[in-house]
Parts: sequence; C-alpha cells; structure tokens
Amino acid sequence: MDPLMTDALVIAAQTAFLIVIAPAVVGYVRLIKARLQGRRGATIIQPYRELRKTFRKGMVIAESASWIFHVAPFAIVGATTAAASLAPVVSTVQPADLVGDLFVLAALLMLGTFFLALGGLDPGTAFGGMGSSREMTVAALTEPTIAIAVLTLALTTGSTSLGAITGTVLKTPAYAIGPGHALAFAAFLIALIAETGRLPVDNPSTHLELTMIHEAMILEYSGPYLALIEWAAAVRLTLLLTLAANLFLPWGMATSLVPAALTVGLCAIVVKLAILGMLLALLETRVAKLRLFRVPELLALSFTLALLGAASSFFTK
Amino acid sequence: MEAAFSRITMTAASAMLLLALVVLWRRHAGAYITAFRTQSIALAVTGAVVASYGGASELFFVSFMILVVKGWIVPSVLSGMDAKRQSARELRPLLNTETSLLVSGALAVAAYEISRPLAEVMNLPTRGGLPIALALVFVSLFIVVSRREVIAQIVGFLMLENGIALLALLGAYGVPLIVELGVFLDVLLGVLVMQAVVYQIHDTSAD
Repeated sequence: MDPLMTDALVIAAQTAFLIVIAPAVVGYVRLIKARLQGRRGATIIQPYRELRKTFRKGMVIAESASWIFHVAPFAIVGATTAAASLAPVVSTVQPADLVGDLFVLAALLMLGTFFLALGGLDPGTAFGGMGSSREMTVAALTEPTIAIAVLTLALTTGSTSLGAITGTVLKTPAYAIGPGHALAFAAFLIALIAETGRLPVDNPSTHLELTMIHEAMILEYSGPYLALIEWAAAVRLTLLLTLAANLFLPWGMATSLVPAALTVGLCAIVVKLAILGMLLALLETRVAKLRLFRVPELLALSFTLALLGAASSFFTK
Repeated sequence: MEAAFSRITMTAASAMLLLALVVLWRRHAGAYITAFRTQSIALAVTGAVVASYGGASELFFVSFMILVVKGWIVPSVLSGMDAKRQSARELRPLLNTETSLLVSGALAVAAYEISRPLAEVMNLPTRGGLPIALALVFVSLFIVVSRREVIAQIVGFLMLENGIALLALLGAYGVPLIVELGVFLDVLLGVLVMQAVVYQIHDTSAD
C-alpha cells in the first residue's frame, strides 16, 4: 500500500476510535459514580441514546444570537477532532507527528474553549456571560500549567511530538519513575480536571446556576447544536485521559503496525481508560466542589507542581 | 539497578516535597497532621530503600524508629493538641495560598540552583535527590514563618526536621546511629514540651 495512504488510515482510525468511544467513557464514569453512591445507574450506552435524541430535536435560538452562535458548535467540534487526530492512541507510530506536536494540541484545545466561551457570550444572557467569564478564568490559569508540564516531558525525552515522547518513554522506562515525570503527571491531572469541568472545579451533573461553569455556557444551545457540543466535550475528556495514560504510562502500546501488536495496544488503551475513569469517578465521589475563589489556589498548586517537575528534569538531565 | 535505585529515591523525595506543598494548600490542622504522618512514612520508606540498596543495614532500624516515632507517636500527640485547641477550626495563614505556593515554587527552583554544584561533585547514586531534600528544608521553613497558629508552626518545624533527615540519608547514607537516636529523643521531647506550653504560646502569639 502507498505509505501516504497507510499514514492517513492510521490517523483516521485512531481519531475515529476516540470519537466513537467518547460517549461510552462519559457513560462509564457516570455508571461507576452511581454505583459508588449506592444507585444502580444507567448503562454505559446511555449517552449515545441521549445524543441520538438530542440530534433529532428541533432548535430554539435566541433572537439576539448572531452568526457566531451558529458557527461555535462546528468550530468546537472541528478543533476537538483536529486535536484528537494528533494523539497516539493505540500505536506509538503516529504519522500526525509531522503535522503538529503538543503545542499545536494545546492550542487546538484552547481554540475549542475560546469558541465555547464566545458561544456562551453571544446571545447576551446573564448566565452565558457568567459561565464564559468563569471558564476563561479557569482556562487562563490551566494553560500555563499544561505548557510547563509539556515542557517537562519535552526536556526529558528531547521531543515535543506526541508519538516520539511515548516511544522514548517506552524505550527507557527509567524516565517514567523520575520525579520530573511524576510531578508533571500530578500537575497534568489537576489541569485535566479543570479543563474538562469535573469536580472539584465544576460539577458536570448539576444545573445549579450559582456554581456551574460549563453548563452555564451551553444553556442557550438546544437540539443538534447541543448534541455536537456535548459530544465534543466527551471527546475532550477521552482525549485528555488518553494523553494522561499514553504520555506518562505508555506500556502496552504498539510500536509497529503489526495486527498482533495493534490488538494488544487496543486492549491496553481500553484498560487504561477504564482505570483512569474509575479513579476519576472515585475522586468525584470523595471530594466536594470547591468554592469558586478556591479554584485559583488549586490551579496555583498544579502550576507549582509543573514548575517543580520542569526544574527537576532541567537540572537532573 | 543503580539507575532504578536513584530514580526510586528521587521519586520518594519528590513525594515528601509534594506533601509539604499540600500543607500550604490545606486549611485544617487535621490535614497538616495527616500530611506530616504520610511524609514520615515516605521518609521511612526512603530509609529502607537506601538501607537495602546501599548496604547500610543499621538504616533498617532507623527507618523502623522513624515509622514508630514520627509516623505514629508524634502525630497522635499532635492530634491530641489539635482536639484541645479552643479557637476557630480553620487556620489563617499570614500569606494567601496562591502567593505561598508561588513563593515555595521559587524556593524550590532556588534550591535546585544552589545544590547543583554539590550534586555534581558527589558520586553517590542518590545525589539527584539532594536538591529535592534542600527544597523540602526551604519549603518547611517557609511553612514555619508563614503560619500564624502554633500547631501549624510545629508541623512545619517537624517537616523541616524530616527534610534534614532526608538530606542526611541521601547525602551520606545516614548519620551514625547514636546521633540518629539522639535526634529522635530531641524530636519527641520537643513535641512533648511544645504540647505542655502550647497554650501559653498561643495566648501570647495569636494577637
């Protein structure tokens, strides 16, 4: 087969995998949470049913909404899909390394957040504006953390390309138990929680006006637009969990495009997502939502961790 | 083997530094004490790792003593002190949390920069952990000066002691056993004395 075709196929398959399983990841976290709280909970495929139902519904759009309101959902989905296409999911052979590295990925995720905030502001409602301002506060504080955590990985492995990082860590496992890696992982997890709007930063399962961030921004959206945004949010969560799993603990990933290795890699990522999802659910059951004014403190903690990680990989290289 | 040893000690040292940072973020004396207890356990684990890889078998005994004295007795005494504390439950630090965390980040980077020449002339496999131990000493000292309540200052002081013990472990595979025993006695005596006088200290320093 033409090498270019193979590359395109590898990228498309990994992206499609992330997009398709994203609602199941959300459903899985919800199910585990329900079980931990003593409820039976809906099945894992419930988010798919919700998406199908929301896609079929009509839309009610505010009269004050401009074209930005209509563009935002597509921009969010586009940016998130593009970001997902860069991630090494099953195999460390990631042809998309040529197109973009970790910085491009962070920028694309930020672009999605930016359009989400614009979409929240556009109809001019009080809640949307409040949600957008909060989201921007959180995003402005998580962004430097992610950049520095990335810098830590780049300093130890000598590359900012995602596939190259996973490959290097896989070859020299000593990197993965060093302090730089561990501190950067802790910082990345806190940033992940803030970026995806989970507890204790935001509560994904409530519509309580005074506390919400993500839900406040999408309050004016309905029907297919809402479904697109929800799906993009699920992809974002899955993507960040995948990155946490594969960048910091890449074991089990395929290093070549052989069917046997790919099968192992596929099982590995499913198992890793299941474990990380369970940890996420456990955390969300254990902690209460922080007061909004304590969120910057948590993010300052993650920033300090990332800084320490970068310092230790810089000085002990 | 040696690479793994050096990595493990560095990670344990990082965990101890992490627990000192957690103290800066938490607001309840109970959380301070839990962080100190966990930190002491991490110190004991580091001691045991150094003992088994470095071939210093008396360190096993020292680790056991750390586990008993700092991991169990001292935290229980502190919990007792906390239970008797009259004032509001939430601690009020002198500096706000964000500034504290950023200051300690800067202190840690300074510790790396200061101890780099030292780590370069040493040839022990544990040298990579030295900057982290020094950072722990700095951050603990910062906890002592930036907290208002006596109990938080005591925890900061004990973490400072942990940091010095870690520095000795990583820099020289521990100090002679008799010195180590003396230090344990000092810590225990210090905490007991502090427990006795803490209310008087609190009355004069709180306002």
